[in-house]
Amino acid sequence: MIRVEGLWRTYTMGEDELHALRGVDEAIEDGEYVAIMGPSGSGKSTLLNVLGCLDSPSRGRYFLAGEDVAGLGEDALAETRLRRIGFIFQSFHLVPRLTAVQNVEMPMIFAGVSPADRRARAKASLAAVGLSDREDHRPNELSGGQKQRVAIARSTVMDPGLLLADEPTGNLDSRSGAQVLDLLAELHAGGRTLVVVTHDPSVARRADRVVVMRDGEIVKRLRGDDVSDLGSLFDLDPEDAAAEAASGAVGR
Amino acid sequence: MSFRDLFGFALSAVLQNRRRSGLSLVGVVIGVVAVLSLTAIGEGALRYVTSQFASLGSSIVNVSPGKNETTGAMPHGIGGVPNDLTLQDAIVIERRVQEIRAAVPVSVSTDVVSHLQRARRGPVVGATADFERLQHLDLATGSFLPESELDRGASVVVLGQAVARELFDEANPLGATVRIGSWRMRVIGVLRGRGQQLGMDVDEVVFIPVAASMRMANKSSVSRIMLELWPRADQDAVIEQVKQLLIARHDEEDFTLISQDAVLSSLSSILGILTLVVAGIASVSLAVAGIGIMNVMLVSVSERRDEVGLLKAVGANQRQILFIFLLEAALLSCAGGLLGLAIGTLLVAIGDLAYPTVDLVAPVWAVVSVIALSLGTGIVFGVLPAWRASRLDPVAALQGH
Repeated sequence: MIRVEGLWRTYTMGEDELHALRGVDEAIEDGEYVAIMGPSGSGKSTLLNVLGCLDSPSRGRYFLAGEDVAGLGEDALAETRLRRIGFIFQSFHLVPRLTAVQNVEMPMIFAGVSPADRRARAKASLAAVGLSDREDHRPNELSGGQKQRVAIARSTVMDPGLLLADEPTGNLDSRSGAQVLDLLAELHAGGRTLVVVTHDPSVARRADRVVVMRDGEIVKRLRGDDVSDLGSLFDLDPEDAAAEAASGAVGR
Repeated sequence: MSFRDLFGFALSAVLQNRRRSGLSLVGVVIGVVAVLSLTAIGEGALRYVTSQFASLGSSIVNVSPGKNETTGAMPHGIGGVPNDLTLQDAIVIERRVQEIRAAVPVSVSTDVVSHLQRARRGPVVGATADFERLQHLDLATGSFLPESELDRGASVVVLGQAVARELFDEANPLGATVRIGSWRMRVIGVLRGRGQQLGMDVDEVVFIPVAASMRMANKSSVSRIMLELWPRADQDAVIEQVKQLLIARHDEEDFTLISQDAVLSSLSSILGILTLVVAGIASVSLAVAGIGIMNVMLVSVSERRDEVGLLKAVGANQRQILFIFLLEAALLSCAGGLLGLAIGTLLVAIGDLAYPTVDLVAPVWAVVSVIALSLGTGIVFGVLPAWRASRLDPVAALQGH
């Protein structure tokens, strides 16, 4: 189970203080599928980074499977990311000079898995996302959807309990986006906790639960089934909702 | 995390940007080549000097007039010193010091040597029969100065190769008479050509009996006395013995005793220091190359921020990232070092072929230290970029700003 209490993340820019998170409280059950929504700058990516141990909260507590992670040192955080968390990014972040299978192998290098073992596991992981025939392709030889599937294979190869995805379909056309969402749903069905940051109501609709953020705070919690239109989601005036829909459809 | 895996990862990064990696290599290559070739030249000079001394025979001690405080300096030739060295000194030394095989008085002057219409001015060396063995002289024809009483100078002369050719062309000079100054001398031998040896060109010299030389110059003293020691003689003991003997004869120490060994060792140490200095200057270029590597690595780190962010996101810790980038820098400098070693060795080999008189070989210490130095350079100058990479904030790095 994941639990955050009174989470603040404050950036100091010169004399100004910018609060990306202002006292966030949230609990996510094991095996839950949660979507975090909200307009740009609402703090949803910051929350995801804190959950992923990439960023440390300025204040507050973060319990990951009962352990307070907020106080861990760099090495322990790296170890946590390595063993317990898988990241999926909007822009894939594959290493361009490495082949698909080498990209998937990468986390296992840092975990010290033996080369033979590693290769087998990477191949299995690629097979699970349907890319067995693309093992030796480099990222520039893959389509966007294929790249994201390689990234998903990489995020799951260490078999982490928690998967974090930041706008996983943001750079994809609707068909490959749907494929990626199906894959994520499959992984969730396999028992993993899944947290997805998204703008896209159609993505959020597939989640068990949706958390809506605004100005660094959680302003609304609803079930995935209840996500109907953007207006109800962001609690905006109809005019603003239209503007938000227009900007949100473009990107982050 | 195994070394092999990280090595592969670093290697792939180096190979990704071949041109940039290549350019940063060039700096290291130049540095290594400079160190190798300069030390090879230094070492070659050292070997050359050593072999020249060896050809003179190392168990030779020179007695020259005047007191020299610095042992390394060459003795002066003719000087107005109070108590000159005499033929008698040489005779006494040879007779009294058992470990001395021969004491050869040498008298050096410059005079005009002529035959018929031809004349040339050059060094005239008065010596004895033993001088031939002492200096490893080879005769092309005839014989060297005859064995005789020291003070009985016959009117005979042995010509150096160049002198003989100039005065006689292809004609056989044996038995002919040449004039040295106003004295007439019969040619009894011609030396085989040998060329320059430690500053004296034997080909340009004419040799006459030492007594004749002194008579011609109207002198009672010799320029120096060369002492040839028996093999395995205790050089220091002989020097001490000769010193006491001469002090007893002269009432004071108005002469200088220098062994070839002493001259050789001081020359060697001078050359050794010079080689080190030159190598040191050359290694400055290696340091500059290190800065080049640092620059390339800094660019590489800032270009691959998102990659570093990703490495952190998938669970690489700071130590591992530091190691990857250090390894990259080490790979660059090591490749540069090896390439420099190959090119440097080739250049030295070519130089060795082009100048056969000097034995050009880069000394082992230079090879080992230049490789260690280039590797060390990469690591030292790679620390800052690697440290930067390891400290990158992963969130900012992944966002690309």
